[in-house]
Amino acid sequence: MSRIPALSSRRGVLVALLLAPALWGTTGTAHAANLDEIKKRGYLTVVTEDDFRPFEFVKDGKPTGFNNEMIDALRKYAPFEIRQEILPWPGILAGVATGKYDIAITAVLMTKERTLSLDFTSPIADATHYYVKRKEDTSIKSIKDLNGKTVGVQTGSAFLSRLPELQAMLAKEGGKLGKVVEYASYPEAYQDLALKRTDFVVNTVINLKALVTERPAIFELGQPVSGSSYPAWAVKKGNTELRDFMNAFIAAQKANGVMPALQKKWFGEAFMLPVSYTPEQ
Amino acid sequence: MSTADVLTIFSGALTTLLLSIAGIALGLPLGLGLALVRWARVPLLNQMVAVYVSLLRATPLITLVLLIFFALPTAGISVGPVQAGLIALVLNTAAFNCEVWRAALLDLPKDQIEAAQSVGMGQTLRFRRIVLPQVWRTALPGLINEMSQLVKLTPVLAVVGVVDITRAAVRIGAQTYEPLPPFLVALAIYIPIVYALVSVQRWVERRTLMREAAA
Repeated sequence: MSRIPALSSRRGVLVALLLAPALWGTTGTAHAANLDEIKKRGYLTVVTEDDFRPFEFVKDGKPTGFNNEMIDALRKYAPFEIRQEILPWPGILAGVATGKYDIAITAVLMTKERTLSLDFTSPIADATHYYVKRKEDTSIKSIKDLNGKTVGVQTGSAFLSRLPELQAMLAKEGGKLGKVVEYASYPEAYQDLALKRTDFVVNTVINLKALVTERPAIFELGQPVSGSSYPAWAVKKGNTELRDFMNAFIAAQKANGVMPALQKKWFGEAFMLPVSYTPEQ
Repeated sequence: MSTADVLTIFSGALTTLLLSIAGIALGLPLGLGLALVRWARVPLLNQMVAVYVSLLRATPLITLVLLIFFALPTAGISVGPVQAGLIALVLNTAAFNCEVWRAALLDLPKDQIEAAQSVGMGQTLRFRRIVLPQVWRTALPGLINEMSQLVKLTPVLAVVGVVDITRAAVRIGAQTYEPLPPFLVALAIYIPIVYALVSVQRWVERRTLMREAAA
């Protein structure tokens, strides 16, 4: 579950070596608080991301986006205080897994691998993976044109585990996947696509729609490259009471219309989402 | 990029500056202390400092800050991003400063100490009047070098959520999908900060030269 991409592998090993004894020690004093403990101490620690538009981003020094407005609603709903910290993606899942934060309120795509160390809430959006290309690049018109082209993705992103799906799609047409370039975060991947270092970038349809709306002269949205997938919020594995509390919160926001309105505002459409979802890959 | 964005980068610059200044202010004397322990060959402590310096010089700052931020809470100590960042910076820079100070101390001719002893100077007076004024001058270029490295190491602290110049620029790029303008602004801020450090070094060197000429 190591998701510390910005590090070279040698550093990664060092991180693992240094963190390992600390992680083994987590049975002791500090662990993700369960619901009773959260109520008793009076606050919930929430971690969000800072550069994942439109889910969460920072505008004029203030956190905004879909998840940050959901947190505003959570502040009204929850009988305890919400303490939020903003981290770059590489620290997010590590922070939840070590118990530093109770919940990651960011778009964590539900994958089978992640369910081994995390428990997910109800999905918060529909996030099928699409590809985006340069508008001027006429060599890509459909999936089969992606044969052998260089693709950019965020390292540690859920799409990496779903690459076999695109591989299978290409193989059906007699093609194969080109070079995969991994970036610490998506803004860098988009920039490199614009600079022609890669031919297409894969991300969720929500993120890519936001991108092409903002820069229509440069980027163009392609077709889906995976089956359906859902992002959700994540708590530490086994913290089911907190997950159930958050699910009740999500259900309430669906019922009172707040969540569909926020989806419409940030994603351009409101989704019909399952209450629970078990990822197959 | 709007004016508000530029202001965001400047508030990041304030974080970078404050963290750098605090890191330097704490790391400099700590490094000197460690170097003196080694120079004076204090039994046991000497070996411990040697191990500390080797360990810290071998640890990437990013690893150290992740360790402090995520591992300390498991020991029941809670630290915020800025505290974790500052602790990591100080621990790191002290190890490097220690070696710069130690090199300067080793460079100090023994006969100077002996001469001071022969006129009956005590240990503290010897250090204040004879050792420090000379060692300080020899160590200065190395220390300033380490300080300018420290300023440029601060973006590493973003990994635990410290918003410095670079992270502020990344955030703006993520919001506007145009990362180049904020990066250029960021670069334009780093340059004068490091230049200011180098100017201090030149000024101190020139002043000591003039003093020597006058003496």
